[in-house]
Amino acid sequence: MTSAHVTTPPLRFALVGNPNCGKTALFNRLTGSRAKVANYAGVTVEKRIGLLQQMDAPAELIDLPGTYSLYVASPDEQVARRVILGEMADEARPDVLVAVVDATNLKLGLRLVLELKVLGLPMILALNMADAAEHRGIRIQVDELSRRLGLPVVETVAVRKHGVNALQDAMRTIAKQALQRADTIPLPARGEDVEALYARIDDMLAGCVSAPANPPRWQEALDTLIMHPVWGLLVLLTTLFLMFQAVFAWASPLVDAIDTSVQWIGAQVGALLPTGILQDFLVNGLIAGTGSVLVFLPQIIILFAFILALEDSGYLPRAAFLLDRLMRGVGLSGRSFIPLLSSFACAVPGIMATRSIADPKERLITIMVAPLMTCSARLPVYALVIGAFIPHQTVWGVFNLQGITLFALYIAGIVSAALIAWVMRKQQHAADDFPLLLELPSYRWPNAYHFLLGLKERAWIFIRRVGTIILALSILLWFLATYPHAPLNATAPAIEYSFAGMLGKLMQPLFGPLGFSWQMCIALIPAMAAREVAVSALATVYAVGGGESALGASLAHAWGLPVALAYLAWFVYAPQCLSTIAVVRRETNSVNATIAFTGYLFLLAYLAACATRYLAGVWL
Amino acid sequence: MPNRPLQTTETGHPVSPLHDLPKGAHARIVSIDVQNAFGQRDEHVTQRLKELGFLPGATLKVIGFGLFGKDPIAVQINGTKFGLRRREAEKILTTPHKA
Repeated sequence: MTSAHVTTPPLRFALVGNPNCGKTALFNRLTGSRAKVANYAGVTVEKRIGLLQQMDAPAELIDLPGTYSLYVASPDEQVARRVILGEMADEARPDVLVAVVDATNLKLGLRLVLELKVLGLPMILALNMADAAEHRGIRIQVDELSRRLGLPVVETVAVRKHGVNALQDAMRTIAKQALQRADTIPLPARGEDVEALYARIDDMLAGCVSAPANPPRWQEALDTLIMHPVWGLLVLLTTLFLMFQAVFAWASPLVDAIDTSVQWIGAQVGALLPTGILQDFLVNGLIAGTGSVLVFLPQIIILFAFILALEDSGYLPRAAFLLDRLMRGVGLSGRSFIPLLSSFACAVPGIMATRSIADPKERLITIMVAPLMTCSARLPVYALVIGAFIPHQTVWGVFNLQGITLFALYIAGIVSAALIAWVMRKQQHAADDFPLLLELPSYRWPNAYHFLLGLKERAWIFIRRVGTIILALSILLWFLATYPHAPLNATAPAIEYSFAGMLGKLMQPLFGPLGFSWQMCIALIPAMAAREVAVSALATVYAVGGGESALGASLAHAWGLPVALAYLAWFVYAPQCLSTIAVVRRETNSVNATIAFTGYLFLLAYLAACATRYLAGVWL
Repeated sequence: MPNRPLQTTETGHPVSPLHDLPKGAHARIVSIDVQNAFGQRDEHVTQRLKELGFLPGATLKVIGFGLFGKDPIAVQINGTKFGLRRREAEKILTTPHKA
């Protein structure tokens, strides 16, 4: 193409198909895995777009949310329909549809294909997982099926390197005839009822597809185990325990290693440079800030390794099925259990894990309540305050009062999350409530290529989209805590003279009803980088050296018990972690949702701390 | 459990809603009933069930339940497995069927 041409936008292909038909694996093969992952405008539904490889002219591919039907649609399926019809804001209508059908599950997939065919768009049918179908003894006469459907039909095996060659040939051919039209197409009225459509599919398949009646025996055996009331529960608990243990405990040596390395690099750089602003900025601003991004990676990678493996193998939908009842009382479904469980380690990977929730409203509610699960960064703060104020005594014979207090803080978070989720669900229109009809897909051995791609994609989303914001905010916090410098003859700790110190003192009247002193307010500011920093910040403002017990003693002297409890209550609720706010911004792709998230949690923290202080003052 | 009048098909076979079936039961769908809990959306839910293959005449097998009681229920139909909540399962009237 010469430069005199007006550059035409690339031809748009869209992958359409049922959930679990292997669309995303196909997408990875066709685009060579360089996908842009974001949300559709205004909804928390994941959008995946990439440039097609092996085409004659530039063409892009969009991976639509899995859908069963154009007519009856859950909120995420409506996104697929609106994109196909060209009704979605900021999305040009696709020029060519690539319908994907799981070859082991033909009837269900073909029903959607026949609906799509009525739209009249150029279309190719990909019979995916052709290898699994062959293995099961399903024989498909592709040419005959293509003739009967009136569509080009190709077999694909997305997990194999050359498994999409035939599809790429077909896409190149169809690209030559496709026209680019930026219009919308109306949804045709349903031509026939579902019964008639299925009867037509049965006729069509008769004589060109032969399939054994039952799924393979090992699939049945596995489901007997996993759906078993006792063994199934044991498998589930073991899986959840391993996952929680991995994210909580196994990640910490890696986190510590990153911490140590970052400090070591900081020390090396610090030694090379003369003491001054530049050295301080590089060591305490830039390097420490980068460290604060990197420490999240082990947890994110470990959690997503579990989620991707469980999702690809087919177990995750079953875990969601088994746990559905537990979450339903508060208006969520089994899908939100794992993101919430992960949030006990850290809300950042937990919120990222909400991507496996298809319903955008449920995903939003899960994001909103995830930080109420007590994360590991709160523990140092809890430990400090509880150690200083709650006596180490035994109650009711067996329990330790300090332990009970810690337990109560966990429970406060869980109960509040349940209440808030319930209230948010009530606020939504009942008409939008969509029944749970969860497909339990066939078990499959996860494919290494797609597994590693998925992990890389999650890690990159975090580093590029969220990490940059966290880094910028960490540097801002460093600036606030450093400038202006303390005067030469300063007697108080340097932080008191900084912007952070001024801000803390400025905030104090606002926190008066909570009983917080200005020192407590100052400590809240650096704690925005990570909650546990509150401990070292308190040590700094109270100018206490010599470890936590010394700090505890001086806090016990400076604070009253009601105020200390109020401080704990504050930490249960406050979105006291900029990384979480950054990840909410990224995952919801909405400024309003982020403001609502931050606002409601701060408000809740304020009210809870206030109530705690007064109640403790009356009762204790 | 609500008291339902004992129903039978025209050929005299007993009819029971899907959620009353035990694990391992094989059944044939007789009809998709109205579920008042869905209100105006009931027709939508019926359509969706049919689209997934829950059509009168189709045969299914109960393969399991969620952890707490008999809700949700997992069934296999046309070689595909689905989890349904009780409200959806109540809409599906079945009659025993030999595997």
